[in-house]
Amino acid sequence: MLIETESLTKRYGDFAALSDCTMDVAAGEVFGLLGPNGAGKTTLLRLLLGFLQPTSGRATIDGCDCQRQSVAVRERTSYLPGEARLFGKMRGREVLDFFADVRPSSRRERFHQLAERLELDTSRRVAMMSTGMRQKLALAVTLGAESPLVILDEPTANLDPTVRAQVVRLVMEAKQAGQTVLFSSHVLSEVEEACDRVAILRGGLLVHTQAMADLRRRHRIRATLTGTLPAPPADYGDQLTVRETELDQVIIETPLQLGPLFGWLSNAPLAEVRIEPVGLRAVYERFHGETAHDA
Amino acid sequence: MNRLLLKKAILECRTLWLGCAVALALFCSIRVWIVAQFSMERFQTIVEQFREFEKLSPVPFEQLFTYAGRIAVTFDEPIVVLCIAVWAIARGSDCVSGELGRGTMEMLLAQPFRRSQIIGSQAAVTVVGAALLMLVTWLSIYIGVQLTTVKEEPPPATWKVPLFGFEVPNLLADPEPVEVPMSERVDSRVFAPATFNLFCLTVFLAGLSTLLSSMGRHRSTTIGIMVGIYIVAAAMKILAVASESWSWLRYGTFFMLYEPQAITQMVVKDPSQAWVIVTQASETEPAALGPLGYSLPLLGLGVLAYLLAGLIFQRRDLPAPL
Repeated sequence: MLIETESLTKRYGDFAALSDCTMDVAAGEVFGLLGPNGAGKTTLLRLLLGFLQPTSGRATIDGCDCQRQSVAVRERTSYLPGEARLFGKMRGREVLDFFADVRPSSRRERFHQLAERLELDTSRRVAMMSTGMRQKLALAVTLGAESPLVILDEPTANLDPTVRAQVVRLVMEAKQAGQTVLFSSHVLSEVEEACDRVAILRGGLLVHTQAMADLRRRHRIRATLTGTLPAPPADYGDQLTVRETELDQVIIETPLQLGPLFGWLSNAPLAEVRIEPVGLRAVYERFHGETAHDA
Repeated sequence: MNRLLLKKAILECRTLWLGCAVALALFCSIRVWIVAQFSMERFQTIVEQFREFEKLSPVPFEQLFTYAGRIAVTFDEPIVVLCIAVWAIARGSDCVSGELGRGTMEMLLAQPFRRSQIIGSQAAVTVVGAALLMLVTWLSIYIGVQLTTVKEEPPPATWKVPLFGFEVPNLLADPEPVEVPMSERVDSRVFAPATFNLFCLTVFLAGLSTLLSSMGRHRSTTIGIMVGIYIVAAAMKILAVASESWSWLRYGTFFMLYEPQAITQMVVKDPSQAWVIVTQASETEPAALGPLGYSLPLLGLGVLAYLLAGLIFQRRDLPAPL
């Protein structure tokens, strides 16, 4: 595992910004962090980078302790903060050169190529750049580093849709190049497209981890209930969840093949049956929507 | 320290340094020229009017009736003190809380730099910058002394009384003022210890600003607290000097260690005492602080403040930018 956390906790007095977070990320994986503002995503990332001292627990990146070996951790990591701000007095190309020179293994050309791909005017001073341009510059700096781990905290904030798509492509390219990406975002479609696994945080707690491959197999059946639902087929066991809502609606979900289920469905007192793949939104709303419930 | 961080720090402060350097260079050389414009006799007449305020002066008025003494006042002029305070506070406050406030600390610390490298590079640029500003200050005084002349009235001509053999002044002859190079009256080397005292004050102020900066999150707060400390310390010195009942305040203000005029007086009196910690004029007189006795504690406090700042920055949490 490239990233491992063990009961990682950060408290500010009585307020727990992150509680008892245990998770791992494999090398080469694109791992998403989901949750509303204040869920603990940024706190988790800052603990990994050694910006914050944990109240308890520990975290390692590539075997290096995030607190005691913070420099070694950052040698293996490149990080894009939520709102990246760069040195206002430098020109774009100077910023690229500065960050390329920081890491002896980096190549300046790679940084400049990325900037070119993002259609960035590097002759301009950072102070004269728009927020979007600055974010692009920070992206070039982060992805140019070719480090084993890339941490992106809301990388597409302030970017237009075209560049957002480009960012997702760059993340996929990083994965193909063997880099591990830890990706925090509010945009579910991006996470769904780019990530292999997703962790959902709520109020500082890691409440759910979802493998995207499982999610892609998972289907959901929505229907209106016109009578009493018979017991589901025993073959499905706990691989079938049935939830009845207040408005006589029933939601049935399974990660297994749907074929054997159709017989049971045809005998059930259901009307207006709709079958749809379960998207990330459905999983997210289970924890953060109006009908959120405890995992 | 790190080459890239040093380069970045230099890039960030070069305009400020240049501004301070130009201001100091112009002011110090002009100040020497102004000293040369006032005849010593007229100056003495003016100053004598204020004898009752002599206790507020860091040196006896007699010291001010010398060219070296009047030039040494330059180090207490508001422009000079303001320039070095601006340099020290601007640089010190920028070190941590400035970068945090601007949000650039995030990207910087995401790189494989040790926190000590970040604060160390900033401190190095600040201290070297201060040293160069001192060089500019001293060189400007030196150039001023070399380029100006003072007008002096020679003693009246005399004539010898025949037979009696003694001389009496010729009161009928109009004495012609002569121009003498200032360099013949003032040795610029006497200002070196005072310049070092100014350097130590700069390091102290920069260290204290860095210490506050290492604890803070907003540069404006750091600057506000520093300005407050500066004003309170200056007021304490004025009160301590003005009134005997408030003299105990002298132990609470760092300005009691900034005495460039007194230092220059010591060096003018005895150049061999220029770089001593404790000075003793004679066996019967008590020992007093020498030029380094004033400067080294300031320097030590500044270095201590830098070390504490490094320790605090090393251990503190770095919040996300607002």
